[in-house]
Amino acid sequence: MTRLNTNQWLALVLALVAAAYIAMAWQIATFPLPRPVDSDLFPKVLGFALLILSAFLFFEPPAPLAGADTIDPDAPRGPLLSTPWARVIVTVVAVAAYALLLVPLGFVLASMLLCVGLTVYYGYRRHSVTLAVTLGVVLGLYLMMTRVMDVYLPTGVLPF
Amino acid sequence: MDALNNLMYGFSIALEPINIAYVFAGVFAGTIIGMLPGLGPISALALMIPITFSMEPSSGLILMAGVYYGAIFGGSTSSILLNAPGVAGTVATSFDGYPMAKKGQAGKALAIAAYASFIGGTVSVVFLMLVAPLLSKVAVSFGPAEYFALMVLGLTAVVSLSDKSLVKGLIAAVIGVMISIVGIDMQTGTERFTFGSINLLDGIDFLVVALGIFALAEVFYMLLRGGDSKEGPRNAIGSLKLTRSEVGEIAGPVSRGSVLGFFTGVLPGAGATIGSFLGYSMEKKIAKDGDTFGQGNIKGVAAPEAANNAACTGSFVPLLTLGVPGSGTTAVLLGALLVMGVNPGPMMLEQRPDVFWGVVASMYIGNIFLLVLNLPLIPFIAKILDMPKALLLSLILIFCMIGVYGMSFSVFDLLLLLGFGVLGLGMRLFGFPAAPLILALILGNIMEESMRRALQISGGDWMTFIDKPISLSLLVIAALSLTLPLIKKRRRKA
Repeated sequence: MTRLNTNQWLALVLALVAAAYIAMAWQIATFPLPRPVDSDLFPKVLGFALLILSAFLFFEPPAPLAGADTIDPDAPRGPLLSTPWARVIVTVVAVAAYALLLVPLGFVLASMLLCVGLTVYYGYRRHSVTLAVTLGVVLGLYLMMTRVMDVYLPTGVLPF
Repeated sequence: MDALNNLMYGFSIALEPINIAYVFAGVFAGTIIGMLPGLGPISALALMIPITFSMEPSSGLILMAGVYYGAIFGGSTSSILLNAPGVAGTVATSFDGYPMAKKGQAGKALAIAAYASFIGGTVSVVFLMLVAPLLSKVAVSFGPAEYFALMVLGLTAVVSLSDKSLVKGLIAAVIGVMISIVGIDMQTGTERFTFGSINLLDGIDFLVVALGIFALAEVFYMLLRGGDSKEGPRNAIGSLKLTRSEVGEIAGPVSRGSVLGFFTGVLPGAGATIGSFLGYSMEKKIAKDGDTFGQGNIKGVAAPEAANNAACTGSFVPLLTLGVPGSGTTAVLLGALLVMGVNPGPMMLEQRPDVFWGVVASMYIGNIFLLVLNLPLIPFIAKILDMPKALLLSLILIFCMIGVYGMSFSVFDLLLLLGFGVLGLGMRLFGFPAAPLILALILGNIMEESMRRALQISGGDWMTFIDKPISLSLLVIAALSLTLPLIKKRRRKA
């Protein structure tokens, strides 16, 4: 058996998603009164449309990956944590942590930590500039949202 | 002179001091965001939605119009200075703009871009003012079947014009509609695809998806590309002044580009990208010195710039008169309007004339601001491009997060935003266009509602979509818009 190409892998994943979607569409409760179109029709149409499109995708020759030529080839030679993919993964984890810590720590503190932490991690070494810009932007945003636009942002451990 | 009276009314709204401040802030913020490589008008508008949330709709939309114009102009700035167009709409500008910058004439190129944008924008606002009321009169007669067909056309047009694979564009659109129907079905009260989570009962907010798929995914993508900005030191910007003969030289390209751009922008799916490319290639064919295009010819900057700004205004026509956006950017604008409680469509002109005419007037004012304020500020604004990428990326993350949290106050939505960021990165890497997804997300619910209402009226008879001539012709055009590119491709291969 020949190896599957990128489009074929994607098509298989999408076909699985479509199958699961169709299965779920069949479980949508029906409305007690008879209607020409119930809540389940549109999802069913969408599910089958995705299934058919994944079949088309399976037979479409793949184009070169969009990012492949621009991803820095030298970067993986550095320490593991500074490879491009590691940077993405660390950022995803940091943003998830930010989401979970936003309420307990408060907007100002959590945002400062995320912004300064990631900037240093990405390799910018002028810490005073980082601190000054981050503090200015975060405080500016905080004051604008809370004082000018009356949008509540969590205060967390800080008193304001 | 109904239009004139209405316009005066619009000016009385747009010229309120607070609204002038909003136009200025919008143009300024839009220019800065649009200038950052990768962040185009869609990200700029999405980032602004939380700010407009608590505003009067007319003020909010005035701010948005400013951001839109600013972002397009900002995109031209990075095209000219860095050869890094933030958005597809300004790619054509870089063909001659960047060579001019390399020759030390960046200031001149930027000035031409500003003048051409101003004229393109202003001319097209006049067209908008004349065309929109006529079109909305026709659109009043549209029933649910026609609306459904119109939305199908809007979607297929955007899919067919995406430069990537047609199948992938359609898949993105289907996924967009799938996301849009999560939550409680408004017609029957039935839960759909909520997985038992109360956080999903209200559906997925489009801002979460838009910021995730565009802004957050862009941050991830920039991280993947690695390294800090690699471009070398830039030449000095040079003088911003144009000579009289240069003004004469660009007058023709600018006026032709403005008209062409507007009408391209009105067509669903076409928008600024096609407009600017058409403007550029038309001038290249017409010009006596067409062979110097691509080497820093000022006409090669003027034509696409006028056309892309005119097309931006043109794309407001279907949005404001039919309530159907013709592009990803206007889809985000529609989302913003819905958040503010305004339903654009044929009735908007009658029900909310303040919003409609306020926006038209603010477009004039936005254009003037773009010229008067941005032009002298260009050398300073360009300094933003020197900001270290590491810091910039972290700040964009914060903007995205606060944008979502400030609107929904939900940690769940922040995690969802992250999920969409990852999805956006995947789509980008595997060549799935994002614009159809966002357009489908906005249109999905309205599309389903129109379809069901049409079937309700016809007693479940599907022929209702074919029996009505307008609906039938729209569906035929939609089908053609998908099949023609395929046939062309086949022919080219054969």
